[in-house]
Amino acid sequence: MSAAVRRLAWLGTALVLAAIPPLFGPYYTNLFLTFAIFSVFSVSLNLLLGYTGLFSFGHAMFFGTGAYATALALKHVSGLPLLAAFGIGVLAAALLALALSPIVVRVSGTAFAMLHLAFSQMMYVLALKLHGITGGEDGIGNFPIPPLTIAGVGAIPMKDEPANFYYFAITLLAASLWLMWFFTRTPLGQVQLAIRENPTRTDYLGFKVSQTKAVIYVFAAANAVVAGSLYGLFHNLVSADGALGALVSFAPIINIMIGGIGSFLGPVLGTAIFQLIEELASRYTEHVELVIGLLLVVVIMYAPMGALGVAKQLRQKWRRQSPPTGALQKSP
Amino acid sequence: MNILETKGLAHDFGGLQVLCGVDLQVRQGERHAIIGPNGAGKTTLFNVITGTYRPSAGKVYFKGHDVTGLAAHRLSRLGVGRSFQITSTFGRLTAFQNIRLAVLARRGIRFSALRTIDAMDDVTRETDAVLARINLGAERDRAANALSYGKHRALEISLALASDQELVLLDEFAAGMSRDETHDAVELIRRLTEGRTVVLIEHDMDAVFSLADRITVLHRGEILATGTPAEVRADAAVKEAYLGEMEF
Repeated sequence: MSAAVRRLAWLGTALVLAAIPPLFGPYYTNLFLTFAIFSVFSVSLNLLLGYTGLFSFGHAMFFGTGAYATALALKHVSGLPLLAAFGIGVLAAALLALALSPIVVRVSGTAFAMLHLAFSQMMYVLALKLHGITGGEDGIGNFPIPPLTIAGVGAIPMKDEPANFYYFAITLLAASLWLMWFFTRTPLGQVQLAIRENPTRTDYLGFKVSQTKAVIYVFAAANAVVAGSLYGLFHNLVSADGALGALVSFAPIINIMIGGIGSFLGPVLGTAIFQLIEELASRYTEHVELVIGLLLVVVIMYAPMGALGVAKQLRQKWRRQSPPTGALQKSP
Repeated sequence: MNILETKGLAHDFGGLQVLCGVDLQVRQGERHAIIGPNGAGKTTLFNVITGTYRPSAGKVYFKGHDVTGLAAHRLSRLGVGRSFQITSTFGRLTAFQNIRLAVLARRGIRFSALRTIDAMDDVTRETDAVLARINLGAERDRAANALSYGKHRALEISLALASDQELVLLDEFAAGMSRDETHDAVELIRRLTEGRTVVLIEHDMDAVFSLADRITVLHRGEILATGTPAEVRADAAVKEAYLGEMEF
């Protein structure tokens, strides 16, 4: 793809994203924003799962910590700018990840997965029990959402303005997605793959495996919070079940499995499929989880590399069947 | 001068004494083979030297510095590399990506996340040059574990040498290779390790005698003899230990 085509593609994507609120109305705008939030959340988990080979059952812990931190900051500090509250959320979860990293970089595989299940359940229980701070089962609702003030433009109201909030959120989500994509293409992103493939060899090459894992871990956590913090603002409600529950940890795992673990955009595709099925299934049955669960079983048994894996296989099959086209054919 | 030295190195696995007081001396610039029957403690010796295991007694010195039990990445930065008995590369990454990681390590690019790697033209050029030198140019975009056994081994050896290591430990590089592949590997090692010090564990005696300047014979965790191939061949103790076990 030439630079000009790529620039056009970016421009096209930006235009489509900008056109969603006026063209589709608030219901579909909100649906799309939910999709975007969970896409970023899933991609941030995939940085650990797909790129570093670290399987976490507790990614919600960062999602939720950020959501709570942002909500608490807005509730208790009057006059706090919106971006500052958002930044506090990101900082809180990054600090949590940093604090946990000395422990979690020393384990991998099942131990890593179970340790995260334990930590995230601990956060979940804390959110329920520390009633005075977190509001217990009710969570923190209807906290003030200040307008976004941009120098030279003025204050843009955010509370009960779905279109404005959509533009605000989608910008931050896009930035987060771009940052993660860029990260995978840097030297550190290559070291990340090396750790997934062979930590011992990485060590013998002279890379500090534990420290590198810690950097990736904090980075993934910070991007999970971008999603979590915006999720709290979006609903103007943060609750233990909605932001820290086990299902919040499992959702991105399911998205990654459905979409395809082997690529950057797989989890985004998975999120889209997940939401589509959830949306459609909920019109016919209350047991949406059952439908999703069955789909997951089918994916794991018949398409372990997810939808993108199937697409890749089909493409290869089609290529083998099509007659050779001379110069265009790559030698095997 | 001795680039690598061990003094009274001992190691036991829960009471089983695998190394009992090994005094190994490797001279700067030589190719030093360690031979001995299975279970003599050769690989354990490598693992203790490279810090995988802590010795129960004794010390390891690299260029006169005590490096006993040092972590692998620190040892690597000092200039010690190693290959493994079971080929150890980045399996699902391409040959190019494998070598590029070594190039990054050598240049000390370890935590860089501000530029894309494709924008680093000098890294790409150097990687392609290394690939050409080890005859892997045509396999550039193949996954490492899809390479033929010999080529996969060659890739691993170049990873072990990647950061201009002064000392490299090769653990049975010829294991499982055909005669032709062994011959090619010997040539490759000779070419790639020029000016460096090599310690190799090897069962293939043709490879040992065509590569090694000196040989140490390990038997039941102890050094039986050290010397030139001719001296070792003539050693009475070695003959006795090996009688009926190995043909020289």
